[in-house]
Amino acid sequence: MTATGLTARAPSGAAPPDEVEKDATASPPQRRRHRLSRSDRRDLALGLKYISPWLIGILVFVVYPVGYSIYLSFTRYSGMGAPTWVGVGNYVTAFADPLVGKAAGNTLFFALIAVPLGLVVALTLALAMNQNVREVAWYRTIFYAPSLIPAFAMSFIFIVFLNPQFGAFNQVLNLFGESNVNLLGDPTGVKIAIILMAQLGAGNAALIFLAGLRNVPRTVYEAARVDGAGPMRQFLSITLPLLTPVLLFNLITGVSGALQVFTEAYIVTNGTGDPDAGALFYMMYLYKNAFGFAELGYASALAVLLFLAGLAMALLIFWCSRRFVNYDVEAS
Amino acid sequence: MITRRTFLSAAAASAAALSLGACAPRASSSDAVIRYWGMGAADADKDLKVIGAFNATKAGSGITLDVNQVPSNGVADMSQIITAVRGGTAPDVWQMDRFNAVQNASIGLLEPIGGLIEKYEDSSVDEFTRQWVQFAVDELTYDGQLYGLPINTDARGIMYNENLLRQAGIDLDMFDPEQHVLTWDEIREVSRKLTTTDSRGNFETLGFVPWDGEGWPYTWAFGLGAQLYSNETAAVTLDSPQWRSVFELYADWAEEFPYAKADAFFATYQPPNSPPSQTAVFSERLAMATTGPFSIRSNEKYAPKLPLKFTWLPVGAEGDDTYSWSGGASLVVPKGAKMTRNLWEFMKFYTGYEGQSILQPLLGDLPTNLKTIQAGHYNPKAELFRQMLPTSTSRPPLPVGSVAWDTLQRSRSSVIIGSATPEQVIANNQLSVAPKMALFEGYQMPATYGQNSVIPS
Repeated sequence: MTATGLTARAPSGAAPPDEVEKDATASPPQRRRHRLSRSDRRDLALGLKYISPWLIGILVFVVYPVGYSIYLSFTRYSGMGAPTWVGVGNYVTAFADPLVGKAAGNTLFFALIAVPLGLVVALTLALAMNQNVREVAWYRTIFYAPSLIPAFAMSFIFIVFLNPQFGAFNQVLNLFGESNVNLLGDPTGVKIAIILMAQLGAGNAALIFLAGLRNVPRTVYEAARVDGAGPMRQFLSITLPLLTPVLLFNLITGVSGALQVFTEAYIVTNGTGDPDAGALFYMMYLYKNAFGFAELGYASALAVLLFLAGLAMALLIFWCSRRFVNYDVEAS
Repeated sequence: MITRRTFLSAAAASAAALSLGACAPRASSSDAVIRYWGMGAADADKDLKVIGAFNATKAGSGITLDVNQVPSNGVADMSQIITAVRGGTAPDVWQMDRFNAVQNASIGLLEPIGGLIEKYEDSSVDEFTRQWVQFAVDELTYDGQLYGLPINTDARGIMYNENLLRQAGIDLDMFDPEQHVLTWDEIREVSRKLTTTDSRGNFETLGFVPWDGEGWPYTWAFGLGAQLYSNETAAVTLDSPQWRSVFELYADWAEEFPYAKADAFFATYQPPNSPPSQTAVFSERLAMATTGPFSIRSNEKYAPKLPLKFTWLPVGAEGDDTYSWSGGASLVVPKGAKMTRNLWEFMKFYTGYEGQSILQPLLGDLPTNLKTIQAGHYNPKAELFRQMLPTSTSRPPLPVGSVAWDTLQRSRSSVIIGSATPEQVIANNQLSVAPKMALFEGYQMPATYGQNSVIPS
């Protein structure tokens, strides 16, 4: 890519690459501005026209709302009338609000368990989907099918599954002489139930893992087998290291999704987040403030804090990924 | 042939036209068309009966009601109406839970209707609103202005199953509202007798649970003298000893009837989001429940053979005053609506004697219009709740009503689970609600709030 970043073609009049390199070594690097040729400008205009639906979409539906949310986060705003500037007041309130801490704690609890567990479940599903058997297409369909169930339907299935009297979960407990428990009525139990629910959506991540598995060169396995490596050694020394780029992708999307967990908790708790705010996740609290209490300014501040937390976590994962992600072997 | 340039230009023009079309305000309707968001799809037929009667009057002839059933859900989100008002597509009149009136008025979502009264009724607002139960009018009053007219109301009492009580050898006279008002000690003792467990310790039947159904913190607060806000000091009073006693009541009960077991019981016999026919009362597992006249219709529909009766809420000691609280719906005018005579005539008819006389017998709860009460135009099975109205009141009309409700509900959950003490929750409640209320410095609820209302018999 050239300095303009717009076209791979060398602009007319630009110095040959070897000359540029020489100049760069002879003196401190200087930013060189290339004038766009008529042809470049025409290409640019055409390119912008072609991507204009996307550009308009991202400006109207992403850039403007994000910018406006950041502005609102410094105001008191009910959705009606004009916002009143309160400076960092909403942020100060958020840090002092015990429910923000509670909701953030619940969300982290969910993320710390659901994301790693989700990766294990998804990878296991992917390995099962990758078996070299004739019925593999059926297996793939069966393993992926739960991911197609909408979250609200899944929530109702879980409510029945966990019913203290009739649900399968308590039937198993009863076999061991335990009395009936309502997992959804316990502040920790309800979080665990929602974590388990989330695993039924692991099919999407499993498909990505499967694509990664299909890209691992067969020759590497053959060489390993010749050297006497067993299935476990092959998995630990070949499959897992070569899947790390996919693992990184699934990890980041998983964390991002976990920070925004909402639907299941909203349905299971009738929107209250109870018992004892045990299922009051961050997005639920944000939603309540925005649309239940008409505090859009405060809710926007919570959204900005969530964005910053998500960004920090993504950066942390990227930083850590240098130690475990392997980009050495290209897909065959 | 379509060139690339033509295609791109046409695509851009179409996109722009679509965007502008979507953003364009709705064409203004004529005064003869009133856009109305009704009480909900399940009761649309009742709405239509009132509208039909209105159209048959001289004032209502020629007026078209453009009805959409977009119900308001108590403390649920207001995004629909806020979006509609901001987008210029709000209804002219909206049937809204009165509980939300002050909060919605405080954010500028509603139009005050005092001007309509003065313009078309040749009467002062105070004089005109004497037609309705005072606490219902108070609930629609913010900062001295009236924001709607009340429709129905209710009250809270104890519903009990005579079969279960008789089988347990309980003296039914204790539950006869004409003879006796239960005390907390009595209802606890009865509950002990009615509660049974299986071999694994699960509750098979339960007598009474004060956090079930309408057993909200407000319900017991009114009986224990707990106030959320003091007009004298213009301050939130959620950390008062009276509020502590409300949460002690829950904690005390949960100690004897453990939350985990009771919760498993309710999750079994009336799981979350279960159909209205599936309740622990209808399956004769729960003998007593806190509820209101709104249960009458479902009792008749789903358990017509069960001998379900009503009595007063329990009091602290023999001879204490009875108490209750009442909610209900109202007609309000969203911001930006055209304040026309036709709109006013519809509101007046719907909430007045004629409209309520049609509506209330169908709904099963109580009118707020005093003439309608006097004429007895309501379900006779709700008579006990009518008797509760003089000492009943609404939840405090505060601009932070939803936050307060949410906070109190969560505190109840903490106390019955045992993760916080009553002392801790009242301190937290004060910390949660007082700063939000501080934004309305010097706020005053209507002077008549909390006083007994005059209800004709």
